[in-house]
Amino acid sequence: MNSRRLNYILRLLLVFLGMNLIWYAAYVLVNHPMLPSPLGVYLAMGQLGGRELVLNVGYSLMRVFAGVLLALILGLLVGLLMGRSPLWNKLLDPVVYLTYPVPKIALLPVVMLFFGLGETSKILMIMLILLFQIIISVRDGIKAIPANTYDVLTSIGAGKGEKFWHVTLPGALSVILSTIRISLGTAISVLFFTEIYGTEHGMGFFIMDAWLRLDYPQMYAGILLFSLVGFLLFLLVDLLDYRFMKWRR
Amino acid sequence: MEYRSGELALGKVSFTLPEHGIYTILGPSGSGKSTLLRAITGLMPEYRGELLFNGSSLREQKVLMGLVPQNYGLLPWKTVKGNIRVAMSIAHPREQSKQAREAQIDQWLTAMGIAELAERYPLSLSGGQQQRVAIARAFAIAPSLLLLDEPFSALDAITRETLQQLFLEHWQANPATALFVTHDVDEAILLGQKMIVLPSSKNDPAEIIDNEEVFALKLEEKRASDAFFAQIKKVRKVMQEKW
Repeated sequence: MNSRRLNYILRLLLVFLGMNLIWYAAYVLVNHPMLPSPLGVYLAMGQLGGRELVLNVGYSLMRVFAGVLLALILGLLVGLLMGRSPLWNKLLDPVVYLTYPVPKIALLPVVMLFFGLGETSKILMIMLILLFQIIISVRDGIKAIPANTYDVLTSIGAGKGEKFWHVTLPGALSVILSTIRISLGTAISVLFFTEIYGTEHGMGFFIMDAWLRLDYPQMYAGILLFSLVGFLLFLLVDLLDYRFMKWRR
Repeated sequence: MEYRSGELALGKVSFTLPEHGIYTILGPSGSGKSTLLRAITGLMPEYRGELLFNGSSLREQKVLMGLVPQNYGLLPWKTVKGNIRVAMSIAHPREQSKQAREAQIDQWLTAMGIAELAERYPLSLSGGQQQRVAIARAFAIAPSLLLLDEPFSALDAITRETLQQLFLEHWQANPATALFVTHDVDEAILLGQKMIVLPSSKNDPAEIIDNEEVFALKLEEKRASDAFFAQIKKVRKVMQEKW
């Protein structure tokens, strides 16, 4: 491990420690069961059964993954179409422009009406939130690739598929990864909303269940675990960035 | 050839490039040098006029072309080796085994003096190194037509001379039919069997200057030869009239 990475990890740990100290100070000042001590919350976390933990975290991860994947597939397709074809861009741009500002979370009741309370509506909500950002960033990412990047491959006789695989996708990947990183925060917030109805699994359900039972240490443990899920997803995007963006370093 | 506005992009040019021949195209900025190459490579599908390859229309054939653009045209997300590998796999998808292809890539990298850069990415290379990769890639695919669009214009004088020498050595060993666009008079005389001088006015015809006497000399002898200086005078005279 090089010293820069070690330094970064040390800084993260320091921030984590600092946050816990602030939390402890707040706990002493508030002195009320609604804000348990950090130690109390960590103990509550330790008391969670392994099965319960895996089930709740697993469900949340599955929903985020499915939503992000669906948004990526659709976003890539539409963004690619708009980025490569001026005609499609002209046709679809007003659609994206008009629908992008619609607060997607407000569509939750509509999605529930159409798709029920099950997994479909939860995954669709995450997909809806991310889709438009991905479409726009893929389109702009593709447009930012200089046209002459394709010239050498065109002169060799590369087909559309080869140009997409060797130029368009890697050229737009950095923008796609940045968008996923930014969108993940939103996706996790939406996940929380979607997990407070029609399910008995997931971190959102777990937190709200603990809150209703007035089990505050467990509620905070759930919030911490939920944050950990987000942190792991961020790490995953960083890993992808490290793997595919070596050329920029 | 015309731009969409109707303005002429390239005037009257007519020449026959023999197989395994190399012609240089010399012209001022905006004379249509690059336009001509873009039309040949198929990057400019709409034009008036005729481009023939082996007697039939270029548009109706699949001709393997090796393009060396001024900006090197390397994919920044592929390593040096990866750039050549992609070009070879597209140009000859099923002709070679993976091992044979890799061996050929290594050969070209060694020939261009960049074997140690094989796993580096283009953004970490100098202009000269990137241009070596671009030339290696163009030769590695064994093109039927080699098209070079001011490949050395962005390089410093010493690197340019080194690369001119390297290019000519490899072209002599693998004489692909080549068109070399440049705005440098010395370069045009050093590398071309004939020079096509494009005029600045699109209404004037291009002038074709024979250069076989200089071309027959060894590269290291060319610059000091009387024939070279005579050609410089000749080209400059044409330039004064046409530019």
